[in-house]
Amino acid sequence: MYILSIDSSATAASVALSEDSRLVGEYFVNTDFTHSRTLVPMVESLLTVTGKNISDVNMIAVNNGPGSFTGVRIGVSVAKGLAFPAEIPCMAISTLESMAYNLTVTDAVVCAAMDARRNQVYNALFRIKGREVQRLCDDRAISIEELKNEITAVYSTERVILVGDGAHLVMKEFADTDCSVELAPEALRYQRASSVAAAAFDHIRQGEEPQSSAQLLPSYLRLSQAERERKEKIESNK
Amino acid sequence: MVCSDMTEYISHSLQDTERIASEIASELSGTEVVAMLGGLGVGKTTFTRGLVKAFGIEEGVHSPTFSIVNEYLNGAVPVYHFDMYRVSDEDDLYSTGFYDYLGKGLLIIEWSENILDYLPEDTLFIELSYGEDMNTRIIKRK
Repeated sequence: MYILSIDSSATAASVALSEDSRLVGEYFVNTDFTHSRTLVPMVESLLTVTGKNISDVNMIAVNNGPGSFTGVRIGVSVAKGLAFPAEIPCMAISTLESMAYNLTVTDAVVCAAMDARRNQVYNALFRIKGREVQRLCDDRAISIEELKNEITAVYSTERVILVGDGAHLVMKEFADTDCSVELAPEALRYQRASSVAAAAFDHIRQGEEPQSSAQLLPSYLRLSQAERERKEKIESNK
Repeated sequence: MVCSDMTEYISHSLQDTERIASEIASELSGTEVVAMLGGLGVGKTTFTRGLVKAFGIEEGVHSPTFSIVNEYLNGAVPVYHFDMYRVSDEDDLYSTGFYDYLGKGLLIIEWSENILDYLPEDTLFIELSYGEDMNTRIIKRK
């Protein structure tokens, strides 16, 4: 099965072509929000150099959020547009989950964190054992302090590795604690298309049905909603 | 350079307002957030025009009340001109792409009253208000 995968959820953009779990080709650029101009040519060029055609693609996988509003929309729109004419099945992957796949074969808890501004991150936690990635919580918007408290309380005996463009912010928060967390090496720290494909292939193996291009939608985490809920929680605890 | 102390200017005409704006522009590097405060007709767009001109942009400047953001890309730095009149909460703000623009150029924001909680800490505020007569405006930067 050929999987074309796409990520443009933040400043970098990448596309990859995989055959099942084997990576055939990948194209990555980090040039600050030029996705609307670069993403489609990248797909085109990747298919050309790998000698494939869009009709060879059996599934399109895309990071559908959280992330930059514009970036997520461009990625999902490109996926929808490519999938629509021949109705290629689609798979939406959480940006945070795709990053956890950067670190398969490490036995650790992966804390994926993307900067959501004002001391908050988009976050989810995963436990990795060998090749298996297990989700520990839903994607959420959470204050960095709250995240630190949770990791300290629940995962302090485990190896915790930080990924994402908010990883260094979380790292800073741990500076004056006993709990040690690690930053993933730069090359493995950010979302990229090959990991999106790996996650999508796992979903298929676990029996998840792909979506039609019409069903494929962006999934923004609504910050203010999270804030409202948090405020309500604080109020009700008073 | 962004000063934390307040400076006050008095404008007696549209030209005055543009001149004051270009004076302030000369101290900007082009990656700042300039937030305008002040009601209808007080000169926010005129002030913006002065700022934009100072960066070598000749395009016509008008309030992006409908489009929310105008991009002026032909000057010394990219200038992004926002109108937050119709933006009322952080979900709205996120969906304007505002966070994607931060640090990418000079951001000028009209009706910044609507998003005060979400502006970066080092935002330069320009407050415009009416003066003693019809043509006079008080411009405070803080």
